[in-house]
Amino acid sequence: MTAVADFEALRRRILRRKRLETLAGLLIFSVLLLVSFQRSQFFSSDIGGDPLGRIGDFLTRMVPDLKGDVLLESRTTTGSLYWWFYDLPVWLKLGWQTVEMAIIATVVGAVGGLLASFLCARNLMPIAAVRFTVRRTLEAIRTLPDLVLALVLVAAFGVGPLAGVITLAISTMGGLGKLFSEINEEVDPRQLEAMEASGTGLIRKIRYGVIPQVLPNYASYALIRLEGNLAGAAALGIVGAGGIGIELQRAITYTEFDTYLAILLLIVGMIFLIDMASEAIRHRLMGLGEAR
Amino acid sequence: MTRELQARAYLAAPKAMGGSWTRRLRGGVLTGLAILAFGAMCADLKLAPEAMLAGADKLGRLAASAFPPNDGGDLPRILKALAETFAMAFAGTVIAAIAALPLGILGAKTVVGQPVLHFAFRRVLDWFRGVPALVWALILVSAFGLGPFGGVIALALADVPSLAKLFSEAIENSDPKPLDGVRSAGASPLMVLRYGLAPQVIPVMTSQVLFFLESNFRHAAVLGIVGAGGIGFELEERIRIFAFDQVVFIIGLYMLCVAALDTVSQQLRKRLA
Repeated sequence: MTAVADFEALRRRILRRKRLETLAGLLIFSVLLLVSFQRSQFFSSDIGGDPLGRIGDFLTRMVPDLKGDVLLESRTTTGSLYWWFYDLPVWLKLGWQTVEMAIIATVVGAVGGLLASFLCARNLMPIAAVRFTVRRTLEAIRTLPDLVLALVLVAAFGVGPLAGVITLAISTMGGLGKLFSEINEEVDPRQLEAMEASGTGLIRKIRYGVIPQVLPNYASYALIRLEGNLAGAAALGIVGAGGIGIELQRAITYTEFDTYLAILLLIVGMIFLIDMASEAIRHRLMGLGEAR
Repeated sequence: MTRELQARAYLAAPKAMGGSWTRRLRGGVLTGLAILAFGAMCADLKLAPEAMLAGADKLGRLAASAFPPNDGGDLPRILKALAETFAMAFAGTVIAAIAALPLGILGAKTVVGQPVLHFAFRRVLDWFRGVPALVWALILVSAFGLGPFGGVIALALADVPSLAKLFSEAIENSDPKPLDGVRSAGASPLMVLRYGLAPQVIPVMTSQVLFFLESNFRHAAVLGIVGAGGIGFELEERIRIFAFDQVVFIIGLYMLCVAALDTVSQQLRKRLA
């Protein structure tokens, strides 16, 4: 009898503690939320209050004034598609520049990340101090937002794609370096041990023992990163680091909200195409990896 | 004898024994073409070594002017800006999570059985997943005026497609057996959701939301550059006037805050798992 009573008491105590914990969590959450809304002036008067109404208003201003009957007319006809995308050749050129920036930065960053990953993998780099330094550096790079880095580099390298490429390459190195070193550490040690037994040096150990095991994984991560870099490159133009972003900035300066939507759609299409291509390549790589 | 051994080894591991010369040639040509394309792209963007050296030189001078870092006598303002940045990230994440919940439920294959609808819905989410928060912020700030409000909405807009996709995957991956169990005990549909589905998906969703809070704190820092307030605004202002000692100070402080938030959120996520 007492056993049941004991059990009931224990259960009640655990339930009460859980409820208290939930209550405390909810309280902290709501205080944080309230303070956040207040601090970020979410309902403040200087935007005229009524945030939802303003969002709707701005969405309607973004939609272009297209007319069904003249949709395929030339650029000078108000309401045609080409009138909406009036600067298409320039945008396409800048869009291609953005793609080039992303590709170059991904290649350079992946090579840098590869070197760094060998320096901080536990099973390849025997000196702990080097591993520690490289790891911390990569971590610091990942914390630093791309755009802050881009601002600094634009100040040093001037306006243009060079600053953007360097920014993206550095941040790619930070991201891929970590992922690559994780791949390196999962390498099957038996092949390395066999090579060590035959007296192979470090460089050859990497070339014949590590690379064949890890190359498909590397390529797959680098391709995912390429997709991210394309979006990043599109945004970097806003601070003057090259690419299509500069046109976004221009459209805003002249309050052409419908033009902004046009360029945005172009960027989304571009990202979509690159995503599809990279996904196709990744699936092929994975298929090859399985066939082996 | 050796010939025979070689042939046997080739049969056992054809890849390890090297390909034929045509395959090697094809590999070589492809590599050459890739290198050529890379060079052409670099030339198209005018990435010249001289420009890089000149920039590196200037960067070195900027770095030299940055030491020792100091707060420029504006510490309270910087701390306030950091708090504002966190507030933007927090509010944006919560709004995104609330908006993504119904979308995620609609996007789950187990909820909306219609394959065409499901496909169309997922694709639309995919299209807008790549748009960075900054691109949203640029137009929102010009629509709502300077200040953090536009930044909050921008973060929420950028997160909704990704969160909705993750939520719908969490729902799809849930085990249907607990739901059946609760249902067979005679529970109402609402109770089935509360005791069958919620315990499975809520920890997963919460940890994803925490993950987005971390990344939003990083994104919120840059929204200030286009006028959405917070620490990004303070940084941009100081970079424009080349006050790099203060820039380094702010970046250092900001990195500490990022590390602190990451640690807290990691602990919370560990408790959820």
